[in-house]
Amino acid sequence: MRLLKLLSLFFVAIFCFGSERAAAQMQGEVLIRNATVMTASRGNLQNTDILIRDGKIQRIGRNISAGSGASVIDATGKYVTPGIIDAHSHTMMNAVNEGTLSVTSMTRIRDVLDPGNIAIYRGLAGGVTAALLLHGSANAIGGQSVTVKFKYGKPVEDFPVAGAPEGIKFAMGENPKRSSQVFQAGQTPRYPRTRMGVLEVMRDAFRRAQDYKRAWDDFRAKKTRVPPRRDLELEPIVEILEGKRIVHAHGYRSDEQLNLLLLADEFGFKVGTLQHGLEAYKFAPEIAKHGAGVSIFVDSWSYKIEAYDNTPYNAYILWKNGVNVSINSDSNERMRRLNLDAAKVMKYGGVPEQDALKMITLNPAIQLGIGNRTGSIDQGKDGDIVIWSEHPFSPYAHVEMTMIEGEIFFDRSADIARRDALQKEREELERLDVNRAPGSGGTPPRIPAERIRGDLDDADDIGGGQRR
Amino acid sequence: MKLKLFVIALAAIGLLSATSVLGQSYAITNARIVTVSGATIDRGTVVVRDGLIEAVGANVSAPADAKIFDGAGLTVYPGFFDSLTNLGLAAPPRPAGGPGAQAAAQQQTAQASTSNYPVGLRPEDAAGDQINAAEAQYESARNAGFTTALTVGRTGIFNGQSAIVNLAGGSASAMIVKSPAALHISFTGIPGQYPGSLLGMFSATRQMFYDARRHQELQKMYAENPRGMRRPEADRSLEALIPALNREIPVVFNANSEIEIIRAIDLAREFNLRLIIAGGQGAGGIVDRLKKADASVLLSMNFPKRTTASSPDADPESLEVLRFRAEVPKTAAKLAQGGIPFAFQSGALTNLNDLSANAALAIQNGLTADAAIRAMTLAPAEIFGISDRTGSIETGKIANLTVVRGDIFGKEKTITHVFVDGKLFEPKAPPARPAGTGGGTGTPTTVGGNWSITIDVPGQPLSGTLNFTQQAGVLTGQLTTQLGTTPIRDGRVTGNSFSFTATVQFGGVALDLNVNGTVTGDKVSGTIDSPQGTVPFSGTRVP
Repeated sequence: MRLLKLLSLFFVAIFCFGSERAAAQMQGEVLIRNATVMTASRGNLQNTDILIRDGKIQRIGRNISAGSGASVIDATGKYVTPGIIDAHSHTMMNAVNEGTLSVTSMTRIRDVLDPGNIAIYRGLAGGVTAALLLHGSANAIGGQSVTVKFKYGKPVEDFPVAGAPEGIKFAMGENPKRSSQVFQAGQTPRYPRTRMGVLEVMRDAFRRAQDYKRAWDDFRAKKTRVPPRRDLELEPIVEILEGKRIVHAHGYRSDEQLNLLLLADEFGFKVGTLQHGLEAYKFAPEIAKHGAGVSIFVDSWSYKIEAYDNTPYNAYILWKNGVNVSINSDSNERMRRLNLDAAKVMKYGGVPEQDALKMITLNPAIQLGIGNRTGSIDQGKDGDIVIWSEHPFSPYAHVEMTMIEGEIFFDRSADIARRDALQKEREELERLDVNRAPGSGGTPPRIPAERIRGDLDDADDIGGGQRR
Repeated sequence: MKLKLFVIALAAIGLLSATSVLGQSYAITNARIVTVSGATIDRGTVVVRDGLIEAVGANVSAPADAKIFDGAGLTVYPGFFDSLTNLGLAAPPRPAGGPGAQAAAQQQTAQASTSNYPVGLRPEDAAGDQINAAEAQYESARNAGFTTALTVGRTGIFNGQSAIVNLAGGSASAMIVKSPAALHISFTGIPGQYPGSLLGMFSATRQMFYDARRHQELQKMYAENPRGMRRPEADRSLEALIPALNREIPVVFNANSEIEIIRAIDLAREFNLRLIIAGGQGAGGIVDRLKKADASVLLSMNFPKRTTASSPDADPESLEVLRFRAEVPKTAAKLAQGGIPFAFQSGALTNLNDLSANAALAIQNGLTADAAIRAMTLAPAEIFGISDRTGSIETGKIANLTVVRGDIFGKEKTITHVFVDGKLFEPKAPPARPAGTGGGTGTPTTVGGNWSITIDVPGQPLSGTLNFTQQAGVLTGQLTTQLGTTPIRDGRVTGNSFSFTATVQFGGVALDLNVNGTVTGDKVSGTIDSPQGTVPFSGTRVP
């Protein structure tokens, strides 16, 4: 207990003096003692200890002893799960869509990360340790995604997961064909305006990428003298064709998502995930055969025309057909309670507990190509761990502690302990002239409340969008 | 033969006329002289002749033909240097914000230039080609003691190439000290077309730098052996990037927050650019990175303060924002401590006297007064490679001088004389601030101040605030709505009516708003034109 307190104090210190940045890789040992460990791979283990050394899970078992310098966390009566992974997020991004063109594969989410976004900390408080940050869905082929761990307080370059496969956003349906956009007189509507147009844009891009690759191959084979122009739009599309870049494809209707799988077959690559996939249950065997994953909401639909034909049994049907299913948030707000979304999968169809847990941990890890290093509590994997006050599928459960690679990034007791100091700091800051509202005589400064607009997928670049 | 005589005669006339303008020499005696490059002379003389500093020292005597000013009680500084402005450059004509703005923008693109790139992606735009030399517009800067400024366009991703000018001279060629001084880049999008967002800004900029690099290589290949190779197309936009890629000119990134500065450092490293940060107020926590990147900073002295009025149905400001405002005055001292070269810039301050007031704040927060003076004299000259000719009071340097009675960083001070290229200006006491331009009702109306407004979007009224500063017919300030806070542009006041434009980010694109309003007492009303249509707004003054 005293250790816990010390640790909390240490955490407060780190938090308050953010400039004192810890080393990128956590050194030393952490021992979590006597927990109910939900491994997400090998069932639940009672009264079990986990030893994390230098960021990696070293041992899992009973009565593990740690070195004298280890931090020991007593988790008696608590549940421990792998860190939650959100396979569809737009958090910590200063821009979501480059909506001007139908192919924006040249854009990179890595360029616009904002490591100071408080939503990251709130995600940690909900047990989320990693996320796939995707470009919005305004384009048939969107920007390059980035897989991050939520190392809140660290510099921006520590967030992307080193060695994680590259990804890219695709989108079909109402968003890329700009169904809801009102074009003014004099404004040229952006092609494509139909679902067949969206598919054509994709096919055209792949053809151009093939030509581009051929031009480089010819140059490298010294068949041509002048080096081709380096094309940042086509390079990532060549990488898709070479199997080096994972396609994460936003879509709702089964017909067009199936068409995308056929397009992928035509060009000889595999679609990584079908995102949203509200009608995925209609062609689950075909998805399983292709080998794509599906990343869904559990029970959210009817928010636009193409999003009506859904069922909360979607996850169950896909699971039953052997499809790798993950549950995502696409929202800073819902990200904080993905554990309850996983619980709903047990309710609708009766997916077993571990398979439900996998849908927010190991399955998204596999979809993101980082399943070999995180997503379950197994020896050798990253120490990405959440300690829950009770069973994580209980609505009464809250996160007590979230760690990434053995380092604590959220500690509920430290957070509570910090609140008075923060309140005091706020009061002092608000008294400064620079922080007082003009002519207010010192009323606490106020700004317009941020409107909660739901989900971010179709967001404009002002921090919120109306539709998924 | 006759021709030769004529030429000589012409030359003689030219010389004579030059002498008659520049030949007047001045001497300021008994003054305290802050040379910046060397020790301060407690009591000495500066002699100015032919646009240059002829002599300076404790034991220098005034020449017989010099006009002598008794400098007892005065301090002579090198002329102040504002290291980032838009002085002398017209605000670019913007396409009207109504329907068809996109088409209008494209048309403008087609007509205005042979560039292959849209307006906003044209690094070839050079301030030196566009500067308006009419002397009057520099008067307020001179009155505040500024003799020199870097000036550059204010819009687009590539703001263009800057020029360093002395703030008098009557013609652009006489004013320019260095052009181009640097290439300037902003983290923004282009309204209505690719790249329309921050995401596209990075990809479009990157592609252009790659293309420019290739352009240079192809030109070289072709020069060596043109046979059997299609000739590389001329491209003035890409060609303008080559000096930056070759590190012949520095690249200034407008980056104020910590994360923007980090992005600028990363992008500059990607293309091995000589990096200068403009803004830089969030640099205090990443001095080590700036050091590693060998970057300089043009620090904005427009310190942030809360300008939005209170609203009972709003959340408190974030701790991050509150902390930032408290930390900004400490940034200069941190840069100094970390050995980062930095210069002050006005950062679009409407009143340049606020610059020295904010410099005084920086001094209270740990900066030495010497370092503050340096940041507005020799430091910018060093950053832009012209310290051999200006920035300090040394024999043979350009006679840019600012003479002050009182403490330059104190409240009681008067700028008594300003020399620009050896030409003397004696600032008059500033006229009383216009009380307004009211329509003769007896009660003067001022548009300046803070206004709480409601924008009547059908079915979804938006609340917002307008924070105006009015100086005669010019309106500056900002508009705050749920879409964020944005500075206003082209603000004008006529009688009790005003107009301005502003750009907000919505739907992944930047939308231009044209706002027209009228003030009646403490009430305001008007219309906002946007590509989505026209909506009325109304509101009241926030006391």
